Amino acid sequence: MQDPRLRFLAAAVLSLAAFASTAGAVAALVWWLLATPRTKTLPGPRVLIPLIAMIGVTALVSALEGGPGLSYFIRMTVILLLAAWAYAETREGDALSVAVWALGNRVGFEIGLIAEMGIGGLAVIREDIEHAQVAMALKGIRPGLRSIVPLAVTLIVTEIRRSDDIARLLAVRGYTFGGEICPEFRRDSKDLLASISAVFFGILSCLPLRDVFILLG
Amino acid sequence: MRVELDELLFARGTFTLRGSGTFDEGVHLVSGPVGSGKSTLALLIAGLLRPTGGAVRRHGISSVQVLLQFPEYHITSSTVAGEAASWGLDPDEVLARADLVGRADDDPFRLSRGELKRLTLCCAIMQDPDLLMLDEPFSSLDCTAKQRACRMIEGRREGITIIFSHESAVLPRVDAIWEMENGTLTGLGGVPHAIPRWRHAPPYLAYALNEGARPENIRLQDAREALCRIRD
Repeated sequence: MQDPRLRFLAAAVLSLAAFASTAGAVAALVWWLLATPRTKTLPGPRVLIPLIAMIGVTALVSALEGGPGLSYFIRMTVILLLAAWAYAETREGDALSVAVWALGNRVGFEIGLIAEMGIGGLAVIREDIEHAQVAMALKGIRPGLRSIVPLAVTLIVTEIRRSDDIARLLAVRGYTFGGEICPEFRRDSKDLLASISAVFFGILSCLPLRDVFILLG
Repeated sequence: MRVELDELLFARGTFTLRGSGTFDEGVHLVSGPVGSGKSTLALLIAGLLRPTGGAVRRHGISSVQVLLQFPEYHITSSTVAGEAASWGLDPDEVLARADLVGRADDDPFRLSRGELKRLTLCCAIMQDPDLLMLDEPFSSLDCTAKQRACRMIEGRREGITIIFSHESAVLPRVDAIWEMENGTLTGLGGVPHAIPRWRHAPPYLAYALNEGARPENIRLQDAREALCRIRD
């Protein structure tokens, strides 16, 4: 999907639908299968498997305590798929452009800039994890529960330092609040259809199931 | 003891790294601009990255260590002493050598980048592995610390030491020079014959060569001595 406004709209609507109910999650999954490049947008197994495992463990604990474990697993997995698709298709500047388009050059620019820094930070965190894992391997520390704490500490400290550096750099360059850009958006021929169907699936999943059948009947 | 690169090829996205050659015992300098692929080559030689093609063959090497460019990644303990111990070394000895006496109980993240670099550099060298790779060991260090680092590197009696650096002010005595540019590794050969062919030579060496001097090694004092010889 070329137009980031429609991409963010579709991702937001479908994520809400998936979060709200299992039916919404199934509808969002159908949309994901039809309207996205599917597995091409997924991260590598080293990232995907731990994320799904975390969802699985939480779902299992929930199920063992009598909660809706399976529903939770389905809903969260679908949200993960949508997030992976939205992240993979997001280009540098998309978040800033959409925020400025929606909220203007002051508040929109501020929110967009924060979003851009956050999205950019994800790639940096991935590199940080790789480097820290290499350093641990060199010390003979195997990946596992005991390596999680030092890894997390390294990531948190380096991220805080990096944010501090960026904040100082912005201040030195005279940044105070807001900015000015003229966002331009390109749109693919399938964008509109995909986003309308996303909104349709979203609305449909918000209705109780029997009402859907009444509407269809 | 040697490392052979046999038609080594590594590709990731648009970046491609290529190289062939043999690293014998001694100190090797791989110089080249930032982003030329030096860190990637270090990880490939260490066996931490898998080549796309060709091979890295290590002969007679039983221990490998890599000092990463950013020392923060090495931290796995909550105290400086614990950090030294996590490398399997005696903390007191490491702290004395890294000029960090009295900082044993400090959080390593409270050290400055330069102090942390000194600590990790000492740990890597004191481990005394057969193959030691130092990725930008002089970055974040002041002149005095760089000179001390050079002495530590020169103090290694055995094994292969490969320095990956774009440093152009303070360098140790080396045995061979390699150049890395746009992902291609080129061996220039042993020192001093390789010095005139070294395109990334530091300004003081370039000046000495332009003046007609023939430095015996790549340190500032080697350039000075060579200049003195032709002016006497």
